[in-house]
Amino acid sequence: MSLIEIKDLKVHYPIRSGFWNRITDSVKAVDGITFNIEAGETYGLVGESGSGKSTTGKSVVGLEKVTSGSILYNGKDITKRDNRRKLDYNRDVQMIFQDSLSSLNPRKRIEDIIAEPLRNFEHLSKDDEKLRVLQLLNIVGLDADALYKYPHQFSGGQRQRIGVARAVATNPKLIIADEPVSALDLSVQAQVLNFMKKIQREFGISYLFISHDLGVVRHMCNNIAIMNRGRLVEIGTREDIYNHPLHIYTKRLLAAIPETNVNQRVAHRASRLAVEKIYEEQQDKYYDENGMAYPLVQVSPTHSVALPETIAKQLASQEGEVQA
Amino acid sequence: MAENFEKHSDISAADLARLNQEAQAEATPSTAKIIWNEFKADKPAMAALFIIVGFIAFVMIGALFINTPKMMETNIMDYFDKPFTTDFWLGADSGGRSVAKQLIVGSRNSIGIAIGLTVISSTVGICWGLISGYFGGYIDWGMQRVYDFTMMLPMLMMIIVLVTIIPHYNAVSLTLIFSLFYWEGTSRLIRSRTLAETQKDYVAASKTSGTSNWKIIFQGIMPNISSLIIIDTTLSFAENIGVETGLSYLGFGLPTQTPSLGTMIANANDPTNITLYWWTWLPAALEIIVLCLSISYIGQVLRRAADASQRQGAAD
Ligand SMILES: Nc1ncnc2c1ncn2[C@@H]1O[C@H](COP(=O)(O)OP(=O)(O)OP(=O)(O)O)[C@@H](O)[C@H]1O
Ligand SMILES: [Mg+2]
Repeated sequence: MSLIEIKDLKVHYPIRSGFWNRITDSVKAVDGITFNIEAGETYGLVGESGSGKSTTGKSVVGLEKVTSGSILYNGKDITKRDNRRKLDYNRDVQMIFQDSLSSLNPRKRIEDIIAEPLRNFEHLSKDDEKLRVLQLLNIVGLDADALYKYPHQFSGGQRQRIGVARAVATNPKLIIADEPVSALDLSVQAQVLNFMKKIQREFGISYLFISHDLGVVRHMCNNIAIMNRGRLVEIGTREDIYNHPLHIYTKRLLAAIPETNVNQRVAHRASRLAVEKIYEEQQDKYYDENGMAYPLVQVSPTHSVALPETIAKQLASQEGEVQA
Repeated sequence: MAENFEKHSDISAADLARLNQEAQAEATPSTAKIIWNEFKADKPAMAALFIIVGFIAFVMIGALFINTPKMMETNIMDYFDKPFTTDFWLGADSGGRSVAKQLIVGSRNSIGIAIGLTVISSTVGICWGLISGYFGGYIDWGMQRVYDFTMMLPMLMMIIVLVTIIPHYNAVSLTLIFSLFYWEGTSRLIRSRTLAETQKDYVAASKTSGTSNWKIIFQGIMPNISSLIIIDTTLSFAENIGVETGLSYLGFGLPTQTPSLGTMIANANDPTNITLYWWTWLPAALEIIVLCLSISYIGQVLRRAADASQRQGAAD
């Protein structure tokens, strides 16, 4: 059994107007997505800005009111508040937020910030609690004198580590990492990613790793889902996605990874323009008449793509993938 | 799991004590500290602060030594006595009553009502705004309709009607009647800031940390809008002094046997008083001007203290 099973999850934000505040329309931030996260793995969720990644992540930790669909944890549907409470769900599932500054209360000391989940879920004695906070600071590589400082006294990278320390405080089984490094510069990104991996090894945590950057995801994730306008367009292993991408949207994201090798810049640019051209010209092949992605079809045991059955098969054989 | 954490513990109790001290020294200045620095940098505001605090303390204590019913007895012998005499520092009014004593008791009454009104209406307004903004959805919608309804009522007329139909009203019931109408401005202001604050991720983080909504509202969000609360409360206080005074002046505030700044200014309704017996109304009018100016000075300092880019005080 998977750790988390997401089934046909939909989150629509109502647009209300008028005196009676009636619902007149809705934003389909997440529109029917299905995937599973296994224990101990890092699952990548990738898509451009506004595709609904954060909304998905927040639904999984229980911050978002879900419109329909279910999220199963230990066989219970945690989209229901009662079930979350019964399970002490957030003790096991925590989140690292996209914006590290806004995710730390500016009026609280680091000690109180990191101890917050401990106080609610673990009820330690005062000394044990302080000790645990110090251990957590140590794990994320911060000095003990961080304890009594306020969030604005830290750099972006340090703040994100504090966010990580808070997320691992209750020793959770799954952490939703919402673009944990996208606000950081490259050298600090690598640092933060490395200790996230280290913590994963030590504590056996699973991550749902959200990013808009396939370059970063490559170093972190075994399985990847590509998200586009609230729907999934492709699911596969790292190998499937990077070496045999089928959907034009995936190819576009791959082409957007910056090329570091100077000698290949020209070739890279040419291929990116080619992908862009296909994307412009073949919209109607890859998307249905409303411009939405098709339902997913399986092309191999690990690999699914959102295309009509025939086109999917045809593309898959072109890519030379073995049909299951 | 315990052993996982054990690997990372190497800090002694002595270290902790030292850290505590270092942190205390380095911590960001508290709101109170910032405000105090700002006052120190602005001499007129500092003077205003002393005037306000000193004056309020003076009338609160002074009024205790005055026997109000006796003071309010008519004494025909002292009819419009001149000011600056040993018996009547500020003269006497048409009933031969000491203006100076009335001023002290009247200030106590007016300021007392203003303080009571500020405490009640700001508390209600702050809670209303916080809850409405934090929960959103139907709760917000319902609370905002109540707000719209009270805004729609003609406030002055309602107060006058209530004051007329309540038989034995006094300072306390008057304060309560005012409070029904004066929480709205605060609640709107606080609500709009709370809406913005609730969107921030630290609120989401508190939720996933298992903290209850009430704790998030009052211990998480409220400290972050404390500067707004302080400024708004100060300015409403200045405004509230005017509320009672204005109504008493019109004759719908405190009963005439209870002196207040408003009833004293009402002496100016009589044209002969305005020119001939100026001491009956001028001191009260001057007092209100000085009080409101001082409070608005203080309000400006608080506003600056809340906005880091405008601060003049040394940032230590
Ligand atoms: N509270 C809300 N009310 C209405 N619409 C919302 C709300 N929150 C998000 N949306 C909309 O839902 C869509 C998905 O938002 P989401 O934050 O999940 O995107 P994202 O993939 O995380 O983007 P980014 O990479 O910029 O973080 C967006 O179009 C956004 O405008
Ligand atoms: Mg996002």
